[in-house]
Amino acid sequence: MSATAVASALEVQSVSKSFGGLKAVNDVSLTVRPGEIFSVIGPNGAGKTTFFNLLTGIYEPDEGSVRFFGKDITGMSPDKVAAQGIGRTFQNIRLFAAMTVLENVLIGHHIHTHSSYLDAMLRTPRHLEAERRAKERAMELLDYMGLARRAGELATSLPYGEQRRLEIARALALEPKLLFLDEPAAGMNPQETDRLKEDVRRLRKELGLTIVLIEHDMSMVMSISDRIAVLEYGSKIAEGLPAEIRTNTRVIEAYLGKGAAGQAGGRA
Amino acid sequence: MSRQTANVVVLGVAGLSLALLWLTPGALAGFLGLIGVALTAYLRPAMAVRAGSLALLALGFTLALSQVPRVSILFYGLVAVLVALITIPGIPRWIKGLLGVAVLLISVPIAGFNNTFFLELGIQIGIYAAMALGLNVVVGMAGLLDLGYAAFFAIGAYTWAIFGSPQAANFLSGSFPLPGNYFYLFMALAIITTAITGLLIGLPALRLRGDYLAIVTLGLGEVVRVLANNLDHPVNFTNGPQGITPVSRPDIGWFHSLMSSVGVELDARTDYQFFFYLLVLVIIGVVVLVNINLGNSRFGRAWIAIREDETAAKAMGIPMLGTKLLAFATGAAFSGAMGVIFAAQRTFVSPESFTLLASITILGMVVLGGMGSIPGVILGAAALTAINTDVLKSFSEYLNNLRQAGVLNLPNQVEPAKYERLVFGVILVLMMIFRPQGLIPERRHQLEIEEAKEAQQ
Ligand SMILES: Nc1ncnc2c1ncn2[C@@H]1O[C@H](COP(=O)(O)OP(=O)(O)OP(=O)(O)O)[C@@H](O)[C@H]1O
Ligand SMILES: [Mg+2]
Repeated sequence: MSATAVASALEVQSVSKSFGGLKAVNDVSLTVRPGEIFSVIGPNGAGKTTFFNLLTGIYEPDEGSVRFFGKDITGMSPDKVAAQGIGRTFQNIRLFAAMTVLENVLIGHHIHTHSSYLDAMLRTPRHLEAERRAKERAMELLDYMGLARRAGELATSLPYGEQRRLEIARALALEPKLLFLDEPAAGMNPQETDRLKEDVRRLRKELGLTIVLIEHDMSMVMSISDRIAVLEYGSKIAEGLPAEIRTNTRVIEAYLGKGAAGQAGGRA
Repeated sequence: MSRQTANVVVLGVAGLSLALLWLTPGALAGFLGLIGVALTAYLRPAMAVRAGSLALLALGFTLALSQVPRVSILFYGLVAVLVALITIPGIPRWIKGLLGVAVLLISVPIAGFNNTFFLELGIQIGIYAAMALGLNVVVGMAGLLDLGYAAFFAIGAYTWAIFGSPQAANFLSGSFPLPGNYFYLFMALAIITTAITGLLIGLPALRLRGDYLAIVTLGLGEVVRVLANNLDHPVNFTNGPQGITPVSRPDIGWFHSLMSSVGVELDARTDYQFFFYLLVLVIIGVVVLVNINLGNSRFGRAWIAIREDETAAKAMGIPMLGTKLLAFATGAAFSGAMGVIFAAQRTFVSPESFTLLASITILGMVVLGGMGSIPGVILGAAALTAINTDVLKSFSEYLNNLRQAGVLNLPNQVEPAKYERLVFGVILVLMMIFRPQGLIPERRHQLEIEEAKEAQQ
């Protein structure tokens, strides 16, 4: 693979997706560099979650292509996408309710737990070793996200903020190269949000992850993003550094309505 | 009620039951004994008292059964003791194990030697429990609604019935029936053939979602039954609706001498029944172990993840089709193995045993007991098998007796045994209303919680 091909962690080329007559995502292209913290913002219903679903295989794009570190992953099934090294969290938390915190993370580690069906059925030493290692890794990740003492509790018994952190731990168990976070700060109080910001930076710095996130909390977006893309009615209306986005008139209009740009721009 | 009072009451009732069961064995003493089991479970006495009371009651039921072997309530007393042992938390493992083994290997055989019906009942419960545990993997763990599960039971049963009887001579040259000891080989073969059938049927069916899967499996279940019914021409594979008999049983000369050497002399019929009883116990042990092992592995976790949230499971890298197929084939294999035992134990196989009602009954065992819960599923199998084969019939007889004695003026149509499906339906409806999670709900996380606590200490 040539050096130029790997210059992007994620390369999205004019993807579109319609639901019936509604163009939920319309001809969106963008490139995320390795190690970047990249935010996708936009008003409610702009198509952000749909955009994530197109990139993670939950929906297949009607048009366009997605490349992950140079490899074409367009239309791959979600489990294959995950196996490429792409982890994600969900806007409406989707933990496995009947399972403990630890088991949830073990599910994330499924593809890295190498124990054959026969080994599992007979509980061979090989199986026990694989289980031990998986649990050790899961506990490490729980510890990393500050949830180790919750390991044995039912996932859904956790407070909201911790459930969001658990979703991140579960996604990390895939040992991904890229992480999609869909509104990770939603429902968090300011302290929890601050901690989340630290965590996101730490994930990039210590694990070398590329992180793409959707977020409505503007102070968080502006402070941690390297670059930001803005969606409105399914289309990308702007992309750039936080400072550029903050003063972009189209973006201000999208958020505050037409005519607001002048005043908001004046204040900025 | 204080712990102290509970101790006294429970021990008192247990002691009194023991005395009555011993001295005046019968339905009344049996009833008191059942109350004793219930009090032991619900009054929360000290652990030692609980264990002691259950031991006394088990002893009482055994003594009573050795004197009046026709009273089934005494047998259900033993079953209740087993259920209490499984479900009451806190009794030390070794006591549970010891008492459970004593009931299964001493009390039930004593009852069964005097009245082989109890061995028969034990075998039927065991066969259905093992199958229900297989279906538990499919429905309980992976959340796939399979309405044609009896098809695999049929395939297993016919696999042995055809080759273990003169039937195979109709289309193969060679000497049939195969010797009885091929039974063991055919159990292994049935596991493989039903697992493969499961894969073949699952491949198209498991691509479908929820309700479609239920309908397709329902159809496939019927297809197998119809095939069994009609494959007697042009070549006679299955002997059609008449069924196949006699089916060979394994040679148990060694078992007979083993039993004589420990001083147990049995007639040939009881001997076979006892052999199959023990065989089914061993198989249940294996099946439970496999269930637990798979449940605590990446496979079991993946099944539960799929059941809980398919989208999230996929996003965590779990391949849908492969994981579902694995669950489907595992369940099928359990059912197939039990089919072979069923054929040999009855020496008779016919399509009637594999109807839609059979599939629904096994599903009912899983749902009634508690989806995903191993002790629950076994209890569900025991309860429904007992209701179908004994309780309703006994109740019918009881009503008949009253009618003939002129005590009761009931029309002849009132015969509970004829209302098996109705009773079954009512039970399921009541369960869904009052206890949708089943008799003994799944407690997977309990294990992890205990592990985590141990780790912290
Ligand atoms: N599966 C679907 N079927 C039909 N319409 C859909 C589907 N998923 C999303 N939509 C529609 O597509 C549009 C974009 O939805 P999407 O969830 O992607 O927005 P969003 O930017 O994530 O919004 P929010 O900030 O509220 O999460 C909405 O109008 C939504 O109703
Ligand atoms: Mg969204």
